[in-house]
Amino acid sequence: MAAIWLPIFLFVAFGALLAGGMLVAGFLIGPHRRNPVKEMPYESGMDPFHDARRRFSVRFHVVAVAFLVFDVELLFLYPWAVASRQAVGIDAAVQQGFVGGRGLVFGGVMLFVALVVLGFVYDWRKGVFRWR
Amino acid sequence: MLELAAIALVKVVILSFGLLTAAAYLVLLERRVAAWVQDRRGPNRVGIPLTSIRLFGLGQPLADGLKFIFKEEFTPSHVDRWMYTLAPISILATALAVFAVIPFGDVLTLGGERTIELVVAPGFDAGAIYVFALSSLAVYGVILGGWASNNKYSLLGGLRSSAQLIAYELPLSLGLLGVVVVTGTLRLDEVIRTQANEGIWFAFAQPLGLIVFVIASFAEAARLPFDLPEAEQELVGGYHTEYSGIRLLMYLVAEFMHMITASFLIVILFLGGWHFWGLTDAAAWGIEGEAVPLWLGVVRIVVLMAKVFVVILFFMLTRWTWPRFRFDQLMNLAWKVMLPLGIANVVMMAVVAEFEVPLTDRLGRGGVIGLTWVGTLLTLIVAALLVPLHSDNRRRSIEPDLFGTS
Repeated sequence: MAAIWLPIFLFVAFGALLAGGMLVAGFLIGPHRRNPVKEMPYESGMDPFHDARRRFSVRFHVVAVAFLVFDVELLFLYPWAVASRQAVGIDAAVQQGFVGGRGLVFGGVMLFVALVVLGFVYDWRKGVFRWR
Repeated sequence: MLELAAIALVKVVILSFGLLTAAAYLVLLERRVAAWVQDRRGPNRVGIPLTSIRLFGLGQPLADGLKFIFKEEFTPSHVDRWMYTLAPISILATALAVFAVIPFGDVLTLGGERTIELVVAPGFDAGAIYVFALSSLAVYGVILGGWASNNKYSLLGGLRSSAQLIAYELPLSLGLLGVVVVTGTLRLDEVIRTQANEGIWFAFAQPLGLIVFVIASFAEAARLPFDLPEAEQELVGGYHTEYSGIRLLMYLVAEFMHMITASFLIVILFLGGWHFWGLTDAAAWGIEGEAVPLWLGVVRIVVLMAKVFVVILFFMLTRWTWPRFRFDQLMNLAWKVMLPLGIANVVMMAVVAEFEVPLTDRLGRGGVIGLTWVGTLLTLIVAALLVPLHSDNRRRSIEPDLFGTS
């Protein structure tokens, strides 16, 4: 188990170290000259009139929620997709009597997809995907 | 354990620096392609320093990199210092670490018993899921950078790009799901092996999946026609407006990495990976048994790289051919076109994989006209009839939408 994960942890750690190292290198090598104009937020030469911590359209929030729902629902399909084609998957479960048959599993998944589509249609009718 | 760590570390270091160099030179290539498309010369001056040898501008990426390092490392006073620093690190680290599970070829057999797995984390079962998990983390780099900058352009750019990235995440994972349904594995090298053993690329077996996946990867990589995150004419630089020097470089490199990742995924999932008919089949060369000689392994790597290169060129040419979408068109395309098409593809492939459908086999290939092609055409026609043209901007008194209230 560790043998499989180790290279991945190494890669993530190395990536972060590399990025951090680039930052430090830039900090050490580059010049440091601050001035008040540089400190300002860049707004195409205008003097900024208040900061950017403002309210933004609730649309983004709704889309984020819709994404979360659909993404998690799609994630449920991966285990089925893998299990349906592997020797130790659904076939083995059917043989050992855990499930009635392949058709039942397939029907269940299709029902699940139908429910997802139903939720999608509901969202569409509610105008979640409408951008102005 | 220690040996394993050492091997993995060597691979990680080679791959990281290789990718950074590749990204730098692809920038040069992109500028040359742009110049070629627009009928001008492009960067061709910088060659070997202190001589007059130009070498078609091959010194340009090195000069650019040096310039970025010698620029001032500047943190404006109005930003959220921690998040401002963390954002580029997170986006670059994840953009690099995605390559941990991407195979660069088949297993390479050296003399005798020694073999080299051309992937950093061999035998990792959930490869495809890992790729998607890390590429979703890119959203954090974007939204953190946009929020921490405390600049209106950055905030708007960050919001836009995160909405775009999460919206196209769904079609992307649906496109992948179509492949997983027929292969039954999440390992990218197994996906290639299925295509190689069966001699069919999934691009031909499930064209609808290919269409959905390619369009979604363009959006995920934030390339034109989906480059709204940094629409220069509207948002200056988008979420990295406040970034300069090496941090800007990190953002730009990470963005290029996303394009390289997307190209690799398209090639691996849909274009057969290292497989090419006749050229990479051991049987075609009269080789018996499992072991593949070294030269054939190298041929496979070359074939994979050539395909990736072609897809990257396609990305670049598209950039200089297409205009940018408007934001509402972009979101409409994601939610109202790509998502239904993706679901249609998954259902179609699930039926094909589960039952003995006439005219097609369980991988989706059929006679002259595979069933999946008919399904693709039908779905596209239905989608075209139901969804209004994205180029149609007329105001309507009646909502043109499928379900009345839109």
